[in-house]
Amino acid sequence: MAATLTANAPARPRKLLASRRTRIGILYALPVVVYLLVLFVYPILSTLFLSLKNTDGSLTLHWYAEALTGVNLSVLFTTLRISAETALFSLVFGFILANAISRLKPLWAGVAMLIVVVPHFISALVRTYGWIILLGDKGLVNQAMADLWIPGAPYQLLYNEIGVVIGTTSVMLPYTVLLLYGVMRGVDRRLLAAAASMGAGRVTIFRRVYLPLVAPGLASAGLLSFILSLGYYITPALMGGPQQTMIASLINQQVMKQNQWNGAAAEGVILLLLTFAGLLLVKLITSLGASRKKRSAS
Amino acid sequence: MMELRRTLAGRVTLTAVATVILLFLALPIIVIIVTSFSNNAFAAFPPKAWTLNWYTSLFADGSKWPAALSLSALVACLSTVFSLVIGVTAATALTRSELPLRSAVYALVLGPLLIPQIVTALGLFLLFEPASMLGSPLAIALGHTVLASPIAVLILVATLRGIDERLEDAAASMGAGRLTIARRITFPLAAPGMIAAAIFSFITSFDEFYISQFLSSVDTVTLPVQIYNSLTFDIDPSVTAISALLIAGAILALALVALVRWLGSGRQDSLLSVENTAGIAAPGGEAV
Repeated sequence: MAATLTANAPARPRKLLASRRTRIGILYALPVVVYLLVLFVYPILSTLFLSLKNTDGSLTLHWYAEALTGVNLSVLFTTLRISAETALFSLVFGFILANAISRLKPLWAGVAMLIVVVPHFISALVRTYGWIILLGDKGLVNQAMADLWIPGAPYQLLYNEIGVVIGTTSVMLPYTVLLLYGVMRGVDRRLLAAAASMGAGRVTIFRRVYLPLVAPGLASAGLLSFILSLGYYITPALMGGPQQTMIASLINQQVMKQNQWNGAAAEGVILLLLTFAGLLLVKLITSLGASRKKRSAS
Repeated sequence: MMELRRTLAGRVTLTAVATVILLFLALPIIVIIVTSFSNNAFAAFPPKAWTLNWYTSLFADGSKWPAALSLSALVACLSTVFSLVIGVTAATALTRSELPLRSAVYALVLGPLLIPQIVTALGLFLLFEPASMLGSPLAIALGHTVLASPIAVLILVATLRGIDERLEDAAASMGAGRLTIARRITFPLAAPGMIAAAIFSFITSFDEFYISQFLSSVDTVTLPVQIYNSLTFDIDPSVTAISALLIAGAILALALVALVRWLGSGRQDSLLSVENTAGIAAPGGEAV
């Protein structure tokens, strides 16, 4: 049918049409380009300039020096640590869950995916509040532990790093599950069957065939939840103590409480650079993964 | 036999662990809904007595919630309109034209989704503060559109890619003008995608926290900022009720997206089969 329709279409004067289609393209692309240049690119560039400017207008690296010393430096390390912990847990939980879902029958896989996707569209603030109720001294978790005669209960699960990591992991988990589910669905099952037909055991197949195939996906899913955690502070601010202050929270405090725009701008640029580094790594891993796939296919 | 038993045990363990992880995702949401009807909104769970007090106190005199709710609704509506205009034009340019620097435009569109929202928020603060636009619903909506419009663009690009361009070519070959094609062919087929883009833009703006916090003023506070404030500064038990309403709203919105997608899914096929019955298909070609 495709051939018939193309044959029936009138022969187009190619060149004329091409230039008109180009003009339409530019015209229609204008709103998004202008909008994002004015309200996204320009504001970020002005953040960059502000971070390099002294109060008298001269150029300086003073704000960066300040951002990388004392309390501010420890906030940076806290941010990296909490993000790494969050990424690790979301990756492990995400791997187990995505793997389980990819083995389920379509109906149950659909139900499980719904439980993954729906929370993702519910405000992170609301979900964090749910955790605050759950993890309190008299919350469900501590009550259950007390009922099970677990020694030491009730545990302090709020306003410390345990609470923060539980909370942020539940916020980042949907991303990793969705990413990993996509990767796992893309694995050619015939490769696993081929390995089995050659006498490989289940552990060997998992370790030598399955894991290498999903490894690039695992790495980029982990990095992505790490990057997303870097700029996040809703849950750490609500479920953590002063020890869990993150960069984004610091930026907010510097602007709102201390009127310290330059310092905030420098923190913002550092956050931006960390994000770019992470994204670059993701890009590197995916291109490596693609070339490996090509090699194994040939 | 041994192997079989081991596989079974492994499968049971995997299912159990996966169920616990699913609970980990669902539990905070279930707890909010149950607690919103609980006599004691803070301490104990599960509740011992039930009440609707938190829902009625949402709209009591002196409550901050109605103002926050209406501001968020206004901002989200504005942002949805902006995002749709930007989304429809951008998606048309990206799928139905020869656009120079196409990959640069794509990179620009993806930018706000990849860059930490706090950095975008700080930049917008630096833009709007000197213009003394803090607290203005328009400024907040313009800010939210930076995050919402890329999502609208991506959804609409996928929608337009999914529409068979041969249908548009066929209409053109029968003498339809560009406007007629857009109105009679492309728009009806793209409508489910446009509704989905609108709903996701609305949710994005309605839930947005960082930009709102930077662009709010003392007396104009969006709903998420009000929730954050009442969880940190003034403890207000009716926050459970508003949270439960937000959960209900999100589930409703997602159900609406699913419904629209499902209703729209058959449309293109039926249009193509109309061509078939009209005898455009070559004789002896695909089964009619």
